Amino acid sequence: MAVYRRGYQRYDGALTSHFARLMVMPRFSWERILSQRFVVILLVVSLFWPLLCAGFIYLSNHSELWQGFGGGIKKFLAINGNFFSIFMNVQSTFALILASVAGPGLVAPDLANNALPLYFSRPLTRWDYILSRMIVLLGILSLVTIVPGLLLFGMQASIAGGDWFANNWFLGTGIFIGFTLYIAMVSLVAMASSAYVKWRVVAGALVLAFFFLLAGAAEMVNSIFRVDWASALNPTYAINAVWKGLLDVEIPEDKPGAWECATVILGLSGGLLALLARKLRAVEVVK
Amino acid sequence: MSAPEIVFDNVSKFYGEVLGVNRVDLHIPPGITSLVGPNGSGKTTLMNLMTGLIHPNSGVIQVRGLSPYAPEKLMRILGYATQYDAGPRGATGFEFVHTGLVLFGFPKAECERRAWQAIERLGLTAAAKRKVAGYSKGMRQRIRLAQAIAHDPEVLILDEPLNGLDPLVRAETIALFRDYGANGRHVILSSHVLQEVDVFSDQVILISNGMIVAEGQIKSVREEIHEHPSQFLLHCRDASRVASLLFAEPHISEIKLAPEGAGLLVLTRNREAFAAALERIALSGIDIDGVIPTDENVDALYEYLIGGGK
Repeated sequence: MAVYRRGYQRYDGALTSHFARLMVMPRFSWERILSQRFVVILLVVSLFWPLLCAGFIYLSNHSELWQGFGGGIKKFLAINGNFFSIFMNVQSTFALILASVAGPGLVAPDLANNALPLYFSRPLTRWDYILSRMIVLLGILSLVTIVPGLLLFGMQASIAGGDWFANNWFLGTGIFIGFTLYIAMVSLVAMASSAYVKWRVVAGALVLAFFFLLAGAAEMVNSIFRVDWASALNPTYAINAVWKGLLDVEIPEDKPGAWECATVILGLSGGLLALLARKLRAVEVVK
Repeated sequence: MSAPEIVFDNVSKFYGEVLGVNRVDLHIPPGITSLVGPNGSGKTTLMNLMTGLIHPNSGVIQVRGLSPYAPEKLMRILGYATQYDAGPRGATGFEFVHTGLVLFGFPKAECERRAWQAIERLGLTAAAKRKVAGYSKGMRQRIRLAQAIAHDPEVLILDEPLNGLDPLVRAETIALFRDYGANGRHVILSSHVLQEVDVFSDQVILISNGMIVAEGQIKSVREEIHEHPSQFLLHCRDASRVASLLFAEPHISEIKLAPEGAGLLVLTRNREAFAAALERIALSGIDIDGVIPTDENVDALYEYLIGGGK
């Protein structure tokens, strides 16, 4: 029988939290992504529209500046769900472009370098890996969506006062939930394309194509079968419908409603997550 | 208290219809264990199963009492180095090892201390601040080993760890394995360099076509192979007389004069009877300078059990 001198001791010192370990990969990725000039330019450009909207809010709350312009202007300058819906629409375009630029570099290099066994040889699960990669995109995209959206909402609430906030608090939660749902979906699309396509440019184009192709397919189904429900398969329409529902903006009656569209988006996101989980294995199984 | 083992209980893994490993039962004690087998025999599959990177279709695996389904616990005691280059592009050797430690959750100062310690142990201190992409094949192999040992694991699993290493570093690396093994840790490795495996392994696992062909200490595995006579090299001055005496023994199947007058190469089917016969010869006054088993090595086991035997 062998006799071993047990000359080692397990580390029993302090360890950082699970969340802190999850944030290790995003920290490195953010550093890398933000060192790309195009990403920085895109981030700066994407702030122009929120600045314009901030000016709009200021103008809307200072009636003395537009007193001479007739009654119609008051309706035009109203800060309501419609205003934030338009704001979200424009910002979502920047978010999509940003995701198509930053997303493809997230997973593809790890797959190409056989780095997944290395990650999974740490106290991390596959879902931890997916989550930490998603946090990268959620963080970057929230800079152009949730953050300016909530800042605008906060600005309006602080200028317009407590009454306005009491009547319109749902706009704040709508912005937060609506944008979170959107950037989660866009992040999943970007990560899935990064996992399946090695070339960054092609993977980036695939992110944009995903939205255009599904929009085209949805229109085709609507035209061929003379239905309206297929609009829910168009991710752009679907997310818009969800936003309108959250912001209490009217949706045409003949089109799919917010709940139907939310269900489609959740289903789509679930599908993308399953695709990702299928691809992101430590050992690639070639049957 | 029994030593903590790595246990495979009736484990099978299939990749679709392709066999990975089939009905594997193993009890691997601490020490250096070498997985030996031809390409595609299932060595890497076994390693991946131990690390939980893949999961079995059936059977149960326990690594020192921990399940591979719980990476949060298992990976704290396990270090793994794959045979592939997996360093992040642009990272220096130090960053590569350090980042891995941060993922383990060690505090910053502890990460730095451990990273430098592991890098120093593998002799890469001078190159630590250089990018891994600029490393030679041997240096990349060493930095992979450094990241595997940096968190001081109890189980070290290494896929072809000696590939690309020059003789000096090879010797240092083997010394590292020995040190780990002697401390009651598990060092599981695969290697194609059978002569080396022989020198440092406490035991071997021979695998072929996804099935375990033999496991245990090399000597005891050899003793179990009855269909191949055991070979011994006898060093003696009066070789022809010893040969004539041995020919009288019924268990001796072949005797050859060893090249350059080194003695006799004897093939016997009964090792104990052979030992007794040698004792009788020695007591009769004939000098026997040495008896060396020539097929108690992985090379021979591989040949007999996997290569088909000669």
